[in-house]
Amino acid sequence: MKMNSYLKNIFVIFVPVLLVSGLLMFADSYSGFKKQSTDVCLSCHEDKDLSMDKGGKKISLFVNGEGYKKSVHNIAECEDCHENYNPDELPHSKTQSEVNCISCHKESKPVETNVHAKVKCYECHTKHDIKPAKEFAKEQTKSCLSCHKQKNIQHYSQSVHAKNNVTCESCHQGGHSVKKISKQEVASTCGKCHGDHQKDFKNSIHSQVLNKGNKDAPTCTDCHGSHKIIRGKISVESQACLDCHLDEKKFPGDGKGSAKFVQHYKTSIHAAVEKDGLLEAAGCVDCHGNHVIDSPDNPKASTNRARLMETCGKCHKETVANFRKSKHGQELAKGSKDAPTCTDCHGEHDIQSTLLSNDFSKINLTDKCLSCHKDGKIPHKNFKGEEELITGYQNSVHYTALKEGNFDAPTCYQCHGAHEMESAANPESKISKKNIANTCGQSGCHTSQLTDYNGSIHEVGVSKGNNDAPTCNNCHGNHGIISKNVDNKLQKSKDIVTLCSDCHGSVELVERNDLPTKITETFRESFHGLALRGGGKEAANCESCHGSHNVRPSTDSLSTINKKNLPETCGKCHPGATEVLFTSKIHLTNPEEDSPGVFWITRFYMIMIFGLIGFMLLHNILDLRRKLQHKKKMREAKKK
Amino acid sequence: MSTIDKIKTDKLTAEELTAKENSEDIKYLRMNKSERIQHFLLFTSFITLILTGFGLKFPEAFWVRWIVYIIGENAFEARGIVHRIASIVMIGASLYHLYYILFVPRGKQLVRDFLPRKQDLIDFKDSMLYLIGKTEVKPRLGRFSYIEKMEYWAVVWGTVIMGATGFILWFENTFLKIVGTEGMEISTAIHYYEAILASLAILVWHFYFIFVNPDVAPMSKAWSKGYLTREQMEHEHPLELEELDRAAAEEKAAANKEAEEKAAEESASMKKNEESKKPDDESQASAENKTSETSGNNNSGKNEENPDTEVPEDKK
Repeated sequence: MKMNSYLKNIFVIFVPVLLVSGLLMFADSYSGFKKQSTDVCLSCHEDKDLSMDKGGKKISLFVNGEGYKKSVHNIAECEDCHENYNPDELPHSKTQSEVNCISCHKESKPVETNVHAKVKCYECHTKHDIKPAKEFAKEQTKSCLSCHKQKNIQHYSQSVHAKNNVTCESCHQGGHSVKKISKQEVASTCGKCHGDHQKDFKNSIHSQVLNKGNKDAPTCTDCHGSHKIIRGKISVESQACLDCHLDEKKFPGDGKGSAKFVQHYKTSIHAAVEKDGLLEAAGCVDCHGNHVIDSPDNPKASTNRARLMETCGKCHKETVANFRKSKHGQELAKGSKDAPTCTDCHGEHDIQSTLLSNDFSKINLTDKCLSCHKDGKIPHKNFKGEEELITGYQNSVHYTALKEGNFDAPTCYQCHGAHEMESAANPESKISKKNIANTCGQSGCHTSQLTDYNGSIHEVGVSKGNNDAPTCNNCHGNHGIISKNVDNKLQKSKDIVTLCSDCHGSVELVERNDLPTKITETFRESFHGLALRGGGKEAANCESCHGSHNVRPSTDSLSTINKKNLPETCGKCHPGATEVLFTSKIHLTNPEEDSPGVFWITRFYMIMIFGLIGFMLLHNILDLRRKLQHKKKMREAKKK
Repeated sequence: MSTIDKIKTDKLTAEELTAKENSEDIKYLRMNKSERIQHFLLFTSFITLILTGFGLKFPEAFWVRWIVYIIGENAFEARGIVHRIASIVMIGASLYHLYYILFVPRGKQLVRDFLPRKQDLIDFKDSMLYLIGKTEVKPRLGRFSYIEKMEYWAVVWGTVIMGATGFILWFENTFLKIVGTEGMEISTAIHYYEAILASLAILVWHFYFIFVNPDVAPMSKAWSKGYLTREQMEHEHPLELEELDRAAAEEKAAANKEAEEKAAEESASMKKNEESKKPDDESQASAENKTSETSGNNNSGKNEENPDTEVPEDKK
C-alpha cells in the first residue's frame, strides 16, 4: 500500500512536471505549476450532485469527465479556459468571468457580432465534451433546432430538405457567420441549389415587382414556406396565392388582376373539384406556371392568349387537340387577334362546368358566339355562296324552343361542334355536305328524319359527292331553320314547289344531273299545280306524292311513287281511288309519247279554235263592213 | 193569230203601218218568257263558269287576283263550289230545254226551225257572196239563219262536251277507276280547250250580232224584252217577216170575209208598201220564191202551233 501511495505521489508530482515541461516546449503561454491539474478539478466536479446557489438558483457544477477526456479539448487544462480561478477558495472566483473561446478560436470572431452574438458558444458546442468540427457539423442542425423551437422552424425536420441533407447551414451559412436572409436574398439563396427555378423566378412578375421595392411581392419562401418545404404542388396550394391575391387592399378595383377578379376562381369548377380532394383540379400554378408567373400580356406567359392552347391542353388534351384542328385553333395559331381562345368562351377564373354554368347555358352560349359572328362582322356564306345572316338563328325554331325551356334544342355547338368546329368547306367538319345529315340526325335530334333520308335519291347523290344533291340545309336553310308549322319557307305547300323548282326547274342543274325535264312546268299546269297557284289549301304539292325526306325514284320499290305504292300515296287524298288505273305518266313531259290522246285533242282544238274563230272573225268583219256601207247608201239616198 | 204582237197596235191600220215611225213601234215576239228565262239561266251560268273556270287556269291573271282579293282567303274553295253550282244551273236549264223542245209545242217548233237544211248552205253561199261584194243581193233569211243555227248547235255541242268532261273531273275519285289517269288528262284537256272555243265563239260570234251589229247596236233587246222591232225584222229576218205578214193577211182575210174589200185594200197597200220600201230588191224575187217554198213547211207548222203559245203572251 505504501509503495502504492509512494508511486502515486511520484506520479502526482512528476507526471505533471513532465507534461508541463513538455508543454513549455510548445507554448509560450505556459503558466507553470500554478495551475490546478484537471484531474484535481474533476475529483470534485465529477460529482453529479455538486452544485451551488446563485441568486436563489441552483446551478449544477457537474462536469462530465469522460466526455471531456474524449473531447477535442482534452489536452487543455481546466484553467486554460476557466481563468482567474482559485481552486482553494470556495467559490473559486468572486468575479466569475465567462469562458472566452474566441481568444483561442479567433476564426470564430464573427459570432460576436452576428445574430448569434448573445448566444454563448457552449449553447451550441456544449461545455466540456466538445466534439471535433467535422463531427459537430453532422449534428449542427439538431443543435440549431434545440434553440429554435418555433413551430415553423421545427417543421424543418419533416421537410424535403431535411430528408436530403440540406441543413440549416446550407441556407444560413455556418454557425459563426450565421445571418438572417433578407427578402431580396432569398431567391439567390435558394438559387444556389435551385438554379433553374431561380432563373424562372427572376423573369416572373413577382420578381420584377420585388426588385422595384414592393414589400408585398412574394419570393420563394412566401409560397413554399421557409422551413417546412415539401415537394411539389402540395406546398404551393392555391391558398398561398389567394392569401395575397384576394386582398382587396393589395389588388383594388374590379378589372383584370383585381382581387374581385381572382375571387371568381373560388366558384370555378377547378376550385370546386380541388375541394373534393381531387388533385386533378387546377390550382393557380397549373395555369399560371410556378416560378415564371407573368402577366397574360407578356407573350411568354402561360396565360397569354396564344399559349392557352398549350396551357389548358396540359389537362384537357383531347379537347385542345380538337380545337387546334378547328378553324378557330388554326387562326389562333396563325396569330390572329380575333380568333377566340379557351378563355373567350369559358371565362378566366370563373370557369364553370358546361352543365352548371349560367354563362354556359345554351342561350348564353348563343350570345357568346354571336358576339363575334354578328351579321357581316365575319363574312359568312351559305351553300349557295350567298351572304347569310347568322342572326337568323335567333328567329329559328331551335332558338325559340330553347327559350321556351326545351334544352334539347340545339345551339351553335350542337351542329358546329364545340371545339372541333370547322367551316363547311372542310370535309371533316360536322357541317360538311356529307356529314350534315348525320349531324342533324344525331341521337336525340332528328333521327327518324335521318332514317328516312338515308337511301333517298338525294342522299345517294350527296354520298357520291354530287354537290348539286340536296341535304338537310338545302331545303330547311342553315341558321334560320323554321318549323314547318310556323311561318316559313316550308309552310305553304306553294313554297315547297318553289323550293323543289330551285333545282328541278333549273335548266343548268337538270342538264348537268340528267334529271327529268319539264317537271315543274307540267306540275304547274296540272290540276294540283293550278289549285296550289290559286291558293287551294288542300292541293297536293311535290311532297304530297314524292315524300319529303325519303324521295326515291319510281323504280325503287320503297318509293312513294312506285307503281305498287301509288294507290296508297294517291289514296291519302283520293279515298277510294286505290285501284287507280295509271294509264299514263303523271308528269306529261312529252304528251305525244306520254299521252297521244291529249296530244291529238290539243291538235284538234287548236285547229278548231284558230279555224272556226278565225272564220267567225272574218265573217263578222265583212258583215260589219257591208252593213255600214249599206247604211251609208241609205243615208245618201235619204238626202237625195 | 200570227206572231205579230198587237198589244199596242190592235187598232193599227195598214195605212198606219206604212208610216216609217210606226214600223219601229210594232214589236215581233222573238223569245217568250220561258225562252227568256232559259236564256237568262244559260248566260248567267255561262259567265260564272267562264270566270270560275279560267280563274283556275290563270290564277296569276290580274282579274283573278282582284276577285281573290275581294273574296279573301277562301277564294279558291269558293271558286270550286261556285263553278259546280253554275254547272248545275246550266245543266238544269239544258234539261229543261230538252223537255221544252220535246214536249212543249213552241219548243218543238223551235227545234224544228233550228234544224239545219240545205237552204242554209245556199244562204251561206249567197251571204258570203254578198258580204265580199260579188253580188248586191242580200239573201233573205228566215226565223233562224245559218248564223243562229251555228250558234245553237254549238251551244248544244258545248254543253254536252263540257257537262260530260266536267262530271268526270268533278267525281275524279270514281272516274279515275274507270278512265284512268289518261282519261282524266284527256278530260282536262277537252274541258279546257272547249271552254276556250266556247268563250271565243260567244265573244266573236254571238256578241257581234247582239252588240256590234249596226242593225241592233248598242244591244238587241230580244233577250230581255222578247221583241224585235219591225225594222230589225226587216234587216235580219225578212223572210220570216214576210211570212208573218202574209199569214196575218190570210188570217184577216179569212176572218173578215164580209169585209173583203177592206182586206183587198189592205193586201194591196201591203204590197205597195213593200215595193216602195225595197225598190232595189226587185231582182230578189226569184230567190224569194224559192225560199218561200222551202220555208213554207216550217211556217205551216209554226202557224198552227203559234196561237197556243201566243195566247198568254198576247194577254200581256
